[in-house]
Amino acid sequence: MPRGLRQEASGNDGNTGLAGGVTLASIELVQVTKSFDKNVVIKDLNLKIEDGKFTVLVGPSGCGKTTLMRMIAGLDPQTSGSVLIDGKDVTRIPPGRRGVAMVFQNYAIYPTMSVRENIEFGLKNNKVPKEERIRLVESISETVGLRPYLDRKPSTLSGGQRQRVALARAMVKKPAVFLMDEPLSNLDAKLRVQMRIELIELHKKLGTTFVYVTHDQVEAMSMADTIVLMNQGEIQQEAPPEVIYRKPGNLFVAQFIGVPPMNVGELGADGVTFGFRPEHAVLSAEPGDFHYSVRGTIVTREMLGSETIYQVRTDRHTFMIKCTEDRFSADQEVFMGVPADKLFFFGADGNRLDERDQRIAGYMNALRVQSHG
Amino acid sequence: MDKRRLWEAVRPYVMILPAMAGIILFVIYPVLYLVKLSFYKYNLLNASRSKFIGLDNFTQIFTRGDFYSALINTVVYTVGVVLLTLILSLLIAVWLSRKSRFNAVVQAGIFTPHIISIVSIALVWMWMMEPSYGLLNFLLKSLGLPTSQWLQSSRTAMMSIIIVSVWQGIGYYTLIIVAALQSIPPSIYEAAALDNAGKFKMFYKITLPLISPQLFFILIIMTIGSFKVFDTVKIMTGGGPNNATTTLVYYIYEFRTTSIGYASATGVVLMAIIALLTFVYFRLLARKVHYQ
Amino acid sequence: MLAQRQVKTGEAPPPNVRESSAAAYVLWILGVLLKAAVILVFVFPFLWMISTSLQTFEETMAFPPTWLPAIPQWSNFVEAMSAGPFLTYARNSVVVTFSVILLQMLVMIPAAYAFAKYKFRGKELCFALVLLAFMIPGQVTFIPVYLMLAKWGLIDSLLPQIIPFISNAFGIFLLRQYFMQIPQEIIESARLDNASEFKIIRKIMVPMSMPALATIALFSFVSHWNDYFWPLVMTDSDSVRPLTMGIAMLRQTEGISNWHIIMAGNVVLVVPILIVYLFASRQIVKAFVYSGIK
Repeated sequence: MPRGLRQEASGNDGNTGLAGGVTLASIELVQVTKSFDKNVVIKDLNLKIEDGKFTVLVGPSGCGKTTLMRMIAGLDPQTSGSVLIDGKDVTRIPPGRRGVAMVFQNYAIYPTMSVRENIEFGLKNNKVPKEERIRLVESISETVGLRPYLDRKPSTLSGGQRQRVALARAMVKKPAVFLMDEPLSNLDAKLRVQMRIELIELHKKLGTTFVYVTHDQVEAMSMADTIVLMNQGEIQQEAPPEVIYRKPGNLFVAQFIGVPPMNVGELGADGVTFGFRPEHAVLSAEPGDFHYSVRGTIVTREMLGSETIYQVRTDRHTFMIKCTEDRFSADQEVFMGVPADKLFFFGADGNRLDERDQRIAGYMNALRVQSHG
Repeated sequence: MDKRRLWEAVRPYVMILPAMAGIILFVIYPVLYLVKLSFYKYNLLNASRSKFIGLDNFTQIFTRGDFYSALINTVVYTVGVVLLTLILSLLIAVWLSRKSRFNAVVQAGIFTPHIISIVSIALVWMWMMEPSYGLLNFLLKSLGLPTSQWLQSSRTAMMSIIIVSVWQGIGYYTLIIVAALQSIPPSIYEAAALDNAGKFKMFYKITLPLISPQLFFILIIMTIGSFKVFDTVKIMTGGGPNNATTTLVYYIYEFRTTSIGYASATGVVLMAIIALLTFVYFRLLARKVHYQ
Repeated sequence: MLAQRQVKTGEAPPPNVRESSAAAYVLWILGVLLKAAVILVFVFPFLWMISTSLQTFEETMAFPPTWLPAIPQWSNFVEAMSAGPFLTYARNSVVVTFSVILLQMLVMIPAAYAFAKYKFRGKELCFALVLLAFMIPGQVTFIPVYLMLAKWGLIDSLLPQIIPFISNAFGIFLLRQYFMQIPQEIIESARLDNASEFKIIRKIMVPMSMPALATIALFSFVSHWNDYFWPLVMTDSDSVRPLTMGIAMLRQTEGISNWHIIMAGNVVLVVPILIVYLFASRQIVKAFVYSGIK
């Protein structure tokens, strides 16, 4: 399958992070709507997934990310709108012929077939000749480390091994698109971290388009070239991880990504909300000179080793602050300050005000007024 | 304290005593008694005058034509019922496997014959199979097909009984297969769709292997159950016409008062056959443990 | 085409882009009609039975057959019921069925509890005997049991239809499974609360296993109410015969051709179970399927 031109993400321009120019979209959803019975889950959604990139669909349960991916696979066809893969409308093409491979959350490997038969099932159906099939299966099993297990049945394998079978089955078809539906959620923590790294390396090696669904923002941040954050069937923001983190498009994005989430508070004017990230606030025993400075008391202290998280209560808000040093204890009075360039403002509609927006100056003043040292 | 310990040790036995008594008295002992009876020429009027005749009953069994014809009838019946029921149940189950309220209604509908007494079913079908006034011949005639003598001819009687048994049993076995089909996670079919498998391939390579334990179970209990057929025969044909439908149990029934020893011996043979089938089932089952 | 993920509440055609052609719609309608036809195949004989039971003799003998009687002949039922001591038959069926269920409960519950929760010598052997009993059919044991009961002079009572069944091997097996799943901790805290074993069974085990008990009772009810073979070989006189035998004998008493009477009697036998089934079909179906899967 032809690969598109791979564009380097450069500059901090807006959402896609590209320096302008042509993008060869590998997958495109156009005005896609999906409803189950009378329930409209996704309405008029448009999305372009770049060829060769690792795109992560992330969001809370029920946001529609899995539904979206299943539409790409053709397992749950859209109610209206079209799905294009490499520019071609695949709406009428059955899943087995779209050039798409999928790793399911519960792996869905065929329980009554051996590992070898599992891997070559798709090849057989696609009429791949026997010698080539054998060669492909051998090489793929070498790659994922399943060589000694080829003749075993799935019930005799561990969870991690079963996942590799699912992976091998998907890879051996050399698909144009790799879909993964929360493939790591059934693994224990240690294995999950290991597999994350392996998947990233796999993507680097193959260069195929990866579409990855997860509810875990840490996975999304660490693995993605592009994050598509969804909520209630709508795309909240579509951007590389740095952009999502440093320039969240709206309140939802700002509070979904980041642990602990961004601190927000009402400004009290025009329904505007202000916010700042826990690690950008500075705590000290003396009053400071920051744009937004307030006095507060430490409510709780969580010392995590490399960092400490304090819960600070001011007269109007309670904030979570992340510090690298552990200088304070509970019930202590502190002064918290946030520099001007680390402050975000969100309009009444939830969208972030761009830093070039005129009204920012006014709001900055309003915030300064609230400060007290 | 000692009394209490004693009670605690005896208590389990007390609790299982009625159940075990029932089993020993009405199952285990009768089986042993049956074997004993099979070695006798039993005198119903004066039990003490029964004569021990060793294996005579058994030699009689294996040399008598009517025993073999009863055996063959039973085998024919079993094969007919098992094949037809299994195939039809499987097809209907696949057809009804999607979860919907309508499908549930259909399943309840086809299950109805299974909970009705065989007496009722036999009587209704006898009425429908009446050669001169029965509904079935009327339907055949109006479709331009040849009519049948159904239960009244030795050529068609067995087939008629098989049809009734299949009709009664399909609902039950369909339900078991449907339950098995619905326990297959849909994601496996989705993975197969992504592997470009056609519908038939999905059926042969995925569905069938996954439900084969249940199919196997059905096969065995149907076989064992069919060997015991009696009620349908007794009511619909009385073993005829011309012993065309005399099955093993009916054969035993015919001799139950006149030649108790002989009947017992035949009962022993029946039990041996059932034991053999059960044994085969368990051996084959032990080999097929590796699923899910 | 593919297994649907959603549970459908009705048989509505799937609303998606790929299958919205007229041909697919037509196929769907055909499917529904065919399914309705299948239901008819299995239910129609009962409807035919009811229709016949209300016809006159001439209507039944007509060829082509009379589909619906001109005037429902309710007198057929009277005639059927007076062809023999049907009140006695009905009473016998009721007494036998309910006695069996009651006795089975009394015998089965302690036994299942002992097998599930106690350790004692010979437990495996006894349980093996239970499984063995499960597999030996009445068609094998009826001759010796008859001789035995005749020797004790019990043949002229209802006992031969009741006592051989007090030990319900299937029930013991099923109930033991259920009991084994009840956490030991609940029982231990009851013991700490100074409850006697019988109290534990009565107040904890039984309430917690109602579904299994209901299943077993339902299963027993249907098999004993419908039983024909065992009463046939165990009874010598009308006073102890159940309804199934009574109806079967209608053929002899009514002669070969009085189908309207015979069907009327049949309706009487079938209607109680059909009514129960109409109300509790899901539970009944579940009971039978569950027993099959064990």
